[in-house]
Order: sequence, then C-alpha cells, then structure tokens
Amino acid sequence: MAGGITFTAVESTKLATAEIFGKTIAELGEKDPKIVCLSPDLATSTKMKDFLDKYPERFFNVGIAEQNMIGIAAGLAKSGMTAFASCFSVFASLRALDQVHTDVCYQNVNVKIIGTHGGTSFGQAGSTHHAIEDIGVIRPLVNMTIIVPADGIETANAVRAAAATDGPFYIRINRGFDNVVYDAKKDYGFQVGKAVEMIEGTDITIIACGSCVYQAMQAASILNFDHKIKARVLNMHTIKPIDREAVLKAVAETRKIVTVEDHTVIGGLGSAVAEVIVEGGKACMLRKLGLQDKFSAIGLHEDLMAMHEIDAQGIVKNVLEVMKLDIEKDEFWGDEV
Amino acid sequence: MAKEVNITQSDLYAARIFFYAAVPLLKVICQSEPKFGDKFKGKNFTFQISAKYEKAEGGKMATHFSVEDGVWTTHAGEVLENPDIELEFSNLKKFIIFFTGKGMVSVLPKFKGIFKNFGIFKDLLMALLRMAGLMQAKDKPEKEEDQVMLCKLYFYLLPNGISQLNKMGHPDVKEVTESSPDRAYALVAEGYPELQSWLRIKAGKSMSGRGEYKRCKPFLAMKFKSPSLALDILMSKADMVDYIGREYLFVDGAPEFGGIVGGLMFKVAYYAQGKYLDEE
Repeated sequence: MAGGITFTAVESTKLATAEIFGKTIAELGEKDPKIVCLSPDLATSTKMKDFLDKYPERFFNVGIAEQNMIGIAAGLAKSGMTAFASCFSVFASLRALDQVHTDVCYQNVNVKIIGTHGGTSFGQAGSTHHAIEDIGVIRPLVNMTIIVPADGIETANAVRAAAATDGPFYIRINRGFDNVVYDAKKDYGFQVGKAVEMIEGTDITIIACGSCVYQAMQAASILNFDHKIKARVLNMHTIKPIDREAVLKAVAETRKIVTVEDHTVIGGLGSAVAEVIVEGGKACMLRKLGLQDKFSAIGLHEDLMAMHEIDAQGIVKNVLEVMKLDIEKDEFWGDEV
Repeated sequence: MAKEVNITQSDLYAARIFFYAAVPLLKVICQSEPKFGDKFKGKNFTFQISAKYEKAEGGKMATHFSVEDGVWTTHAGEVLENPDIELEFSNLKKFIIFFTGKGMVSVLPKFKGIFKNFGIFKDLLMALLRMAGLMQAKDKPEKEEDQVMLCKLYFYLLPNGISQLNKMGHPDVKEVTESSPDRAYALVAEGYPELQSWLRIKAGKSMSGRGEYKRCKPFLAMKFKSPSLALDILMSKADMVDYIGREYLFVDGAPEFGGIVGGLMFKVAYYAQGKYLDEE
C-alpha cells in the first residue's frame, strides 16, 4: 500500500499526479483539522478543489499573489496549523523566494509547498513557466526538505510524509500524467531521505528523480537487452537531505554515475550527488543529464525530454559514452603471481 | 640431429598458461605451507624452469624465482641467464607433457646446478611434487587442508589463465574481452578470506589478482559455500545449476554471465590438462 491511500490502484493510473496530490490532501484534511490549504487562484490547476469543496473554511485563495500566499502560510503555520501552499514551481521558487527564505525557512515552520508544473512538464506554456532552476534555488535554504516524486503513488507518500513531519517541505510534481513507476498495492517502503533501488546493476548507476525515474528504468532495460550492460537505477526522490549512503555505495560498487533530472544541471540532483562524491574521496565518473545551462525550447514535455537527452534514448546514449571513458590512468594490466 | 618437434598454436597457449599462471603457483605452495616454506628460510638462490623453443627470444621460454633471505619473488615468463638451479626441458612439447601429467620419464628435464645446491634442490623438488600431486589429481583430496590448498591453486590459476589466453589473442577469449566494458569476475569461497581471486576485463585488456576485488563490486562473483564444494564444480564433479539450486553456490550478479565465465575457465582447463593433446 502507498501509505494508506484510499483511491484504488486503477484510479492511480488514471489520475494526473496533481490530482493524486489533491485527493491525498483532502484525505489528510479529514483526519487532521489543523491542515489548511492555500492557492494563488490556481485551485483548479493545482487540483486542490476536493479540499476546497470539503473544507472551504480551511482553504484560502489569496489571488494571483504567490509571495502573499507564502507569507500567509507561514503565519498560519506559526499559529499551529500545517499549511499546504500550492502553485506552479517556477513561481513558488523564484517569485516567492524571499518569503520562502525568511518567512518559512528562517522561522522553520510547518509550510509544505507543493510546486506543480515542475521542470519542463508545462512545456507548451513557454520558458516563463518552465521550472528548471527551482531545486537549485531552494536547496541551499536551511531547514528545507525537498522531494521530487517519481509518480502519483510516490507523490501521495511524499505528501503524507510532509504532513507527518515538522518543518518546511518543497514537493515538486509535474503537470499532467506521470508514467506509473510503483504498484499502488505494494508498499515499497518510502522514507524521506532514502533512495529506492529500482533496478540492480554493477556496471553503472543511473540516479534519477521525478519523471526521469521512469525514463531511467526504460533506459536500463534497453541497455540490458541491446548492450548487455547492467545499470543500477536509483530513485533519488529526496534531493535534500540526499541519501549519502546510497550515493557512496554506488560510487564504491559501480564507479560510474549518470544523474538524470528535468532541471538545469547546475544546483539540482546532479550537483547534490556530485557534492557527496567529492566529499567521499573516491574516484568516480559522473555525467549530469538535464538542461545544460540553457533555457528550454517550447513544446510537449516528451519532446523536450528527448531534446535534453533525459528520455530513455538520451540516457542510453550517454551511458554508452560514459562506459567508454576511463576514470583513472589505466596502463597496468599485469597479472598477480 | 635432434628430431624436429612440431609446436602448434595450442602448445603455445598451454605453455603460456604453464609459464605465467601454473609454475608461479610454486611460490603459493611455499608461502602457504610452512612444511615447505620453512625449508627456505634465510636462503638465497635463483631457480628456473625453462623449455627450449627456437622461436622464442634467446631460444627458450622460462619462468624463474629469486629467493632472497627466504622471500620468494616470481618472474613469470622471464629467462635468467645463469640460475643457481634449473629444470630445462629440451623442447616445449616435453615441458607441456610433463606439466599436464601425461608423461614423466620420457620427458624428464635436464637438472642443472643440483650437485652444488643439492639441499635446496631436494626441497624444491618436494614442493614441486606437492604442487603436481594436488593439481594433477583426478578427485578432490580427502583432507580439508588439502582441499583448501587445491582450491587456492585453482582460484589463482583460472583467472590468470584466462588473462594469459587473452594476452595471447586466443579468439574465443578475445571475443568476450573485446566487447566487454570494465568488469570484474570473482571467485570466492565463503569463510576463507585467502580463497578469493578475480579477473578484470575491459575493451580487450585483462588482468588477474588474488584476494578481494576492491576497486568496485565485481560484476559477477561465484561464491561457494566451502572449498570442498568449490572443488566439486572446478573439477567437474558436480553440476553448477544443481549446486545453485542447493545453495552451495551463489552467483552474485547477472546470472547469464556465469556461463560465459564458466566457458572461459573450461578453456584454461582444456590447455592446462592437455586435453588438446589427445585430439592431435
């Protein structure tokens, strides 16, 4: 089970990720009267309408004013409430950054920010609505936990974990449907800060988050069938605090890592993994896949993922390149006698 | 005029395995078993096993050991001009027949330097006989200590033997190594830290080593429950699939690659046991 969600496995495949968030928060609201929700006039887009219909007295539409939303959420949290504030990731992270920093993180209050339309998932809306720097901007903020769920099931788990844990959370989800990664009937043991090994392998490790997890799993399958390469796939759903143990294990056991994220390669998952590798002190080949310090073109999410080589084929291409690179000078090939 | 001996490519593969992987195991015997190793404590000498082969540089192939103050160093494939003691075979074929155990008296080598160093020669001979007795046995030994020793010799010989065939350009081995990314294959007998060895291959290159492979997790590790069970498989006395089913052997890694490694190990045995000689 995925943390006790009441909607069915069939429904979970039919619901957009944000809709699963909406159902989960409505369920949580029933059990916990201290949960409040806030929206900058985006209740429909961010799928909070179920909560609004059930608990209108605990729902606050602040108008198109994300900064105010975060400030009000912090005030409500200071008053003992658990505030879920949801808006597009790009506005939660960039426009409202000062409020997230000072009102939420500095106060260390129970504000749970649900950033929707993450990465390039709202691709056709254009660069102003692409959230490609949000993780990099939010990650340095003290006290903040960052989760990028792989699918709807994991989103439900993340929202439940956020409600049950004191302190600020930033949960980044996509617009529309995510490919289903998890079986809703099975408990895969979601824990904040604990990566999930989706596929075993010792040739190389692919560390992915969000929508890239499914792509990484597809890539691992292609690598196995077409190239006999055994790639380990880690779902690093929690970017902060990152699972250092899983990264260091991947370094020690595979010595080659490719990170995949729908985000700029500066400051996000790849950077977080790189920090752990450097501090670990063991040589490792690392390639960061994502937006290579450039704005994205405008288009459908699937096409943009292909453009930025964070889809299955792009991952396969890059893994094959990395497999041919040498980590260290490799000139001694003698035999021990 | 000496009878001309036809040296085949298979002979050269076998000779390479013996000079670079099998003969060096003499040091392992002396290091592992005090009853042999203690005899050389404080001694200084050089010992060489060689076979004449006109196409080799200097007209012979060899491996020699230098022992300084009882400490052994192996010089695999290196010819020493004037060793203190030498077993010199008159040709490569006799050397191979001797070491495969397919003949003894008719292929005996020339013993050089034995009168001057008779005591050391006698002790060397005992160690060589110990090695031959273990390696040429058809059945696994009964004593546990002998099983551990033989398992160690096999574990050290096989990855090295594969690497030697690769370095010789053996087509079947090359086919595997050239298409391989950087991978390590390990042999492990659980509970015996010294009974571990590994083979690393990468884009046509290979190297072998002893002990735990520490660079990264081996791509595939064949972990045997005991040295005795390992010998059952290595001496072809048991079925690998059956042993996996009984949990006597755990293949840690991609199981489909177990067969590839097994095939390479059989290739080494094909030459080291002189099976190809029976087909000639």
